[in-house]
Amino acid sequence: MLTVVAALVVSAIPLLWLGVNPLRSYREIFVSNPTNIRGLANILVTTVPLFLAGLAVYLPLRAGLWNIGAEGQLFVGAIVGSAVALNLSWPSYVLLPAMFLFAGIAGGLYGAIPGYLRAKHNVNEIISSLMLTFTATTFAGYLLRGPMQGGGGQSATDQLPGAARLPTVAHPRLHVGVVALVIFAVLGYLLLNRTRLGYEVALVGSNPAAAVQAGISKYKTYVLVFVIGGALAGIAGIIEIAGVHGRLFEEFSPEYGFTAIAVALLGRNGVFQVLLAALFFGVITAGGTTIAVTQNVPTAIINVIVALTILFLLTADFIRDHRITVSYDRSAGSDERGVEGAS
Amino acid sequence: MSLAAGLAESTVRLATPLLLAAMGEIIAERSGVLNLGVEGMMLAGALAGFAGTIVTGSAWIGFLIGMGAGALLALLHAVLCISLKTDQVVSGIMLTLLGTGLTTYFGRGWVGGDISGFGRITIPVLSDIPIIGFALFSITALDYLALLTVPVVWYFLFRTNIGAEITAVGEDPETADTAGVPVFKIQYACVLLGGVFAGAAGAQLSLGFTNFWATEMTAGRGWIAVALVIFAQWQIWRVLAGAYFFAAIDALSFRTGGSVGDVFLGQEALATVVNFLVNPQVMQTYPYIATIAVLWYVMRQGNLNELGAPSSLLKPYSREQD
Repeated sequence: MLTVVAALVVSAIPLLWLGVNPLRSYREIFVSNPTNIRGLANILVTTVPLFLAGLAVYLPLRAGLWNIGAEGQLFVGAIVGSAVALNLSWPSYVLLPAMFLFAGIAGGLYGAIPGYLRAKHNVNEIISSLMLTFTATTFAGYLLRGPMQGGGGQSATDQLPGAARLPTVAHPRLHVGVVALVIFAVLGYLLLNRTRLGYEVALVGSNPAAAVQAGISKYKTYVLVFVIGGALAGIAGIIEIAGVHGRLFEEFSPEYGFTAIAVALLGRNGVFQVLLAALFFGVITAGGTTIAVTQNVPTAIINVIVALTILFLLTADFIRDHRITVSYDRSAGSDERGVEGAS
Repeated sequence: MSLAAGLAESTVRLATPLLLAAMGEIIAERSGVLNLGVEGMMLAGALAGFAGTIVTGSAWIGFLIGMGAGALLALLHAVLCISLKTDQVVSGIMLTLLGTGLTTYFGRGWVGGDISGFGRITIPVLSDIPIIGFALFSITALDYLALLTVPVVWYFLFRTNIGAEITAVGEDPETADTAGVPVFKIQYACVLLGGVFAGAAGAQLSLGFTNFWATEMTAGRGWIAVALVIFAQWQIWRVLAGAYFFAAIDALSFRTGGSVGDVFLGQEALATVVNFLVNPQVMQTYPYIATIAVLWYVMRQGNLNELGAPSSLLKPYSREQD
């Protein structure tokens, strides 16, 4: 909480720089925007990709791996899902599940690459997932100027057919994809806390040597967390296309996959904490987009707040870890004042 | 200018930011600190350099300001990773987000600005050498500078005491510490130097290449520099070769109109494949794929040491541990 406040205080500096009253901006982001139906719809809709991509980072993190490639998996899911939607003229109740299925499979397979490389050949998953992200986003640029380009000369596909659009409820912006928040929060919780796999993931993450001793396959765990994570990111991609934009274009994701790292970090204590973290960044992203219009602030302020939140989160970690050392030393009977002075 | 000479010239010029950023990255990584904030630091350098040039009227002072901006972000990375022992990956990604956000935010007022930047310096006689003459002897001062840094950094890292100490810190900080090497000072210096180089790479883009500022103008070059160091397996001369390889791909991708296959091959299927492979956008993915391929190839038959990665990369060093 303190972390968030610190990030907001520092973010006030660029706002003041442009002559914007930060209190007015924050009131709009945290009070006015979430309390009207349109703002609330925007927040929930923005939280969906953040939460799913956040889980895509969180799951491998539980096994001790960094998935920096959620953005790429999100793109692959969006590309494959859109391709399905554009090429098959099926009725909505068949088409939508097919889109989600193929987007999930594609994202999962794409996620499997860094997982497999790490499990089999000990190739650093941070680097491979990062490289695969840029491969995917660049390749999307090719597809959108080539095979998948729609009419109108823009680097975007045609509008998806009506059958491929997620229906909306209560507000024209609020698509039914938001139920994914509830579904995947529950599924994620059950998977990690109530299944054998969840236990194995936690053990591999906390003590790989003991896990191997206990007969758990590190290979299987590493690949699985990346496949499930990638599938979730892929589904996030197609929800964003089918629910929000209605067509695929290059800048459809405001770096959800990278903000997801902050989401996973902020919510690393459990699936529901990840959900809360996603909601927090959803509020900032949706609110930031709103003040960009009403108060003429560049939307880049969102990136600044997200980055500063991570910054203070990292700093807070250090202070917290340090405190534990101090209390430990105290119980061990070492010089209290000396240790406290050092902190 | 012939096609080959034009290609050579673009390759050399496109290699400059990659070379500068990768030289900084290799110094930081050899001391054991991975810097994923290069892209953000390059953007900071590009904007600060551009704004500095407009304000002071001197491209060289602007270039220095750009280097300072990169160093400032790197200082944040150093404090977080070295003093606070936070996760290097998260810190680096955060810095790229921060750099992108801040430059987009503050850069709005500088879009559309115009400077003359660094001009070409043509060396007579030498620049008349066919194909490579123009590419190597009619470039900006910053391009010469980038080429010059390669042997300098090589000498610094592999032939001086400090270079040896950096390697020792990157391989085994505990032993280095025991031997009296100032581990933290060296890591700080290396990360800061990395930031200076990244800032220089960014400033080179806005002052010596485009002569204007545009939002996210680095277009992923910072990430390619990160890839390049891994692709080159932490060896200076391979970075040089890799920078030219990646830059040549970039230069080629500007020139292939997607009809190469039709010209060279009669068969339709082959022509389709070749056209796909030389498509400018598809070619842009090659540096990333090549990096994964190199990693995979080396790791398949060896281990991290054979890869050439510093052993303590990504591991924060704490004297209190154990």
